[in-house]
Amino acid sequence: LAREDLPRQRRGITPQMLGRYPDFDVLDNSITGAWDDATRGVVMSRLTLGQRALEFFTRDEEPTLRAFTDLMLAQDGEPRVPVVEMLDLKYTEGKLEGFQYEDVPDDRLLWHEVLHGLDFSAHSRYGVNCFADLDREAQAAIAQDLQRGVLTGGPWDTFNVRRAYTVTMAAMVTEFYSHPWAWNEIGFGGPAYPRGWMHFGLLGATEPFEGHDVLPVDAARDTRRRGLP
Amino acid sequence: MTSRFRLSTALKGAVRPPENDSAWLLDEHRRAVPGLSSMTRYRDEDEVDLLVVGAGAGGSTLAQRMARRGWRVVVLEAGPFWDPDRDWVSDEAGSHPLYWTMKRITGGGDPVALGKNNSGIGVGGSMIHFAGYMPRLHPSDFRTFSEDGVGSDWPIDYWDLKPHFERCEMEAPVAGQYWPWGDPHGYPHSPHPASLQALTIWDAAHRLGIEMRAGPVGIANGRMGNRPHCIYRGYCLQGCKVNAKASPLTTHIPDAIAHGAEFRAMSFATRIVLGAEGRAAGVEYLDVRTHLQHRQRARVVAVAGYSIETPRLLLNSAQAGHPHGLGNGHDLVGRGVMVQGAPQVAGRFPHEIRMYKAPPPEVSSEQFYETDARRGFARGFSVQTVGPLPIGWAEHVLAEGHWGESLREYMRDYNHWAIMGVLCELLPLPENRVTLAAEMDQFGIPVAHFHYTQCDNDRRNIDYAKGVMREIWKEAGAQDILEIDRYAHLVGGCPMGATPEDSVCNSDHQVWGIPNLLLADGSVFRTQGSANPALAIQALASRLADRLARGLVDLDAPSARHVVPARRS
Repeated sequence: LAREDLPRQRRGITPQMLGRYPDFDVLDNSITGAWDDATRGVVMSRLTLGQRALEFFTRDEEPTLRAFTDLMLAQDGEPRVPVVEMLDLKYTEGKLEGFQYEDVPDDRLLWHEVLHGLDFSAHSRYGVNCFADLDREAQAAIAQDLQRGVLTGGPWDTFNVRRAYTVTMAAMVTEFYSHPWAWNEIGFGGPAYPRGWMHFGLLGATEPFEGHDVLPVDAARDTRRRGLP
Repeated sequence: MTSRFRLSTALKGAVRPPENDSAWLLDEHRRAVPGLSSMTRYRDEDEVDLLVVGAGAGGSTLAQRMARRGWRVVVLEAGPFWDPDRDWVSDEAGSHPLYWTMKRITGGGDPVALGKNNSGIGVGGSMIHFAGYMPRLHPSDFRTFSEDGVGSDWPIDYWDLKPHFERCEMEAPVAGQYWPWGDPHGYPHSPHPASLQALTIWDAAHRLGIEMRAGPVGIANGRMGNRPHCIYRGYCLQGCKVNAKASPLTTHIPDAIAHGAEFRAMSFATRIVLGAEGRAAGVEYLDVRTHLQHRQRARVVAVAGYSIETPRLLLNSAQAGHPHGLGNGHDLVGRGVMVQGAPQVAGRFPHEIRMYKAPPPEVSSEQFYETDARRGFARGFSVQTVGPLPIGWAEHVLAEGHWGESLREYMRDYNHWAIMGVLCELLPLPENRVTLAAEMDQFGIPVAHFHYTQCDNDRRNIDYAKGVMREIWKEAGAQDILEIDRYAHLVGGCPMGATPEDSVCNSDHQVWGIPNLLLADGSVFRTQGSANPALAIQALASRLADRLARGLVDLDAPSARHVVPARRS
């Protein structure tokens, strides 16, 4: 399955307008009585984060951060889930996970180090000053080595590189899949209080207000066939 | 008392739990604990009868029991006093405030993720975001050394706790089918209906000869007092906004407050203070909002901060006569911290499963709980349904190494996947321990360092359990399978035992040498079984309270001695 084969979203927004539930918009369910006020407030606040000016990440780091998160989350066009701004808010507010692995620094410092390291590798391998100046293929080669933990030199020699991949990826996907546009893409029914679910057993797993998967391609087989990492 | 509890279990929820009106004290239309404005407030200089550190499963249960007996009780809690209507959301990322997110360092050969995985904060503790499974320990869990030559034996046995398992099950209330494993027993509430995911797993397991049962979950099946029934929305791990799932906030704290206990939120305990004759005299704590230091006086102090913070507090309380921390004369504080191996295996189906619907805890099996020599390792595991929401599912996809385009594609496939997990009994090892790190928290207090490495028996157990899950998925007709290695729960770190040389506290939870300093949480476990620990933590606190109330705990003894309990066969 190439992404061109996916249907265009007809209702609501998904990241890059891709998805398998083209007529499902989870925000249609955000009405009072389906979602409680506290939940609606938290979820809806994510829709405006794209306008946030960066505070935690520096102007110098921004191009590398955008290129890195776009690559790892395959966000190659608008509309984008504003992961950069969401991460910036998280670390500006000092939100940590409650544990720090002994072989990497504090999450906040680790992010600065990883971005610095990506630029270091871009320079040492390709002679450019910024990771964002590389083409997608070169960026992916560095990312793959980050995942395998084999990047060396500069900041990479000061912490466990494989762990740095795990920590930064977990932070990225947590932001991405907390955004209602991403829920539209995957057909997730979203918050369900106070309404709750009517159907969850054998009688049919879909509620009247949920969409249907119109292209049930098996991701495991398809990504293998296409040789994706 | 015992016969009354037995009778009530047979009557399936028809009998109100004894001496606990929590479910009836709650408001029918609002989720917050009523009566906070008129809650008893003690002054720091009042010598209260019992000062508890930590308002979780153990601390809240102990507080409720002793308040009922007329003891003047204060509970210090580092986090806020939750109002579920206002503070909790049906949202994964938005539930971050429920987790203990103050810094801890984790390491060793197989480091354990903390935070949202196993550590709560706020009045109600980790049960606020636990899935809801409330199984009992098995009789064998208390004698693993005698029976299987691994781990160690507890100074008490299953039968000492049984009346308290039954009582806490009524209070939760626990819903489930008749339970055929361990000490067979029924549950006060009938089983919940099963989701498509649970039915899929059940059917396949059954064909393989693996028995499963619905439950046991601490989720009301039907109304209980002013607690509504479950609405199956699936956000159990994000705090139950419905008040259907058990947590101390619904099961013990309303009754405790009605009987004069004070729950003092945003109060972070930093040091246990000893007074004359080396007895506990009170606790120093910080008001988290003002950073002002206080010292609450007390006749008895009970620490219930869980397996990381309880050892940390004892170690940070080093003072004259206790240079290495309280109860640490034999270098045992912080040792033997256990986690359960909790790998999960996902199966892909051509039709939609939508595992986010219904509570993640649905059906489980304890068929593999006990040692079976043919499997090649000691002890065993339980099998349970889990139902990750999108961020949880993304962690599975990341664990298989996907990123970019393939990450997005697996994520788009979310509704076609079903996931089950196991809880493997990993053995208590002295090298797996909490110590103090060089790093300080925001208050200048050294943070905990948790070192964890598996032993060979642990690895064999986890491998075998993953194989069982793969077999179930193959039988169910899954087209593809994903696996993730992870851990769940925390217990141990300050084990109870028969002598000061092998434990931190005695069978009455008294720290050796400090008879009025008690440990009332999961840190006292010597072994963990394959059971989720919440019920056993509550039952232990309930038993301790029963013994305190009956005057069986000698709080004045110059040095607490072990009392050998009568052994039943």
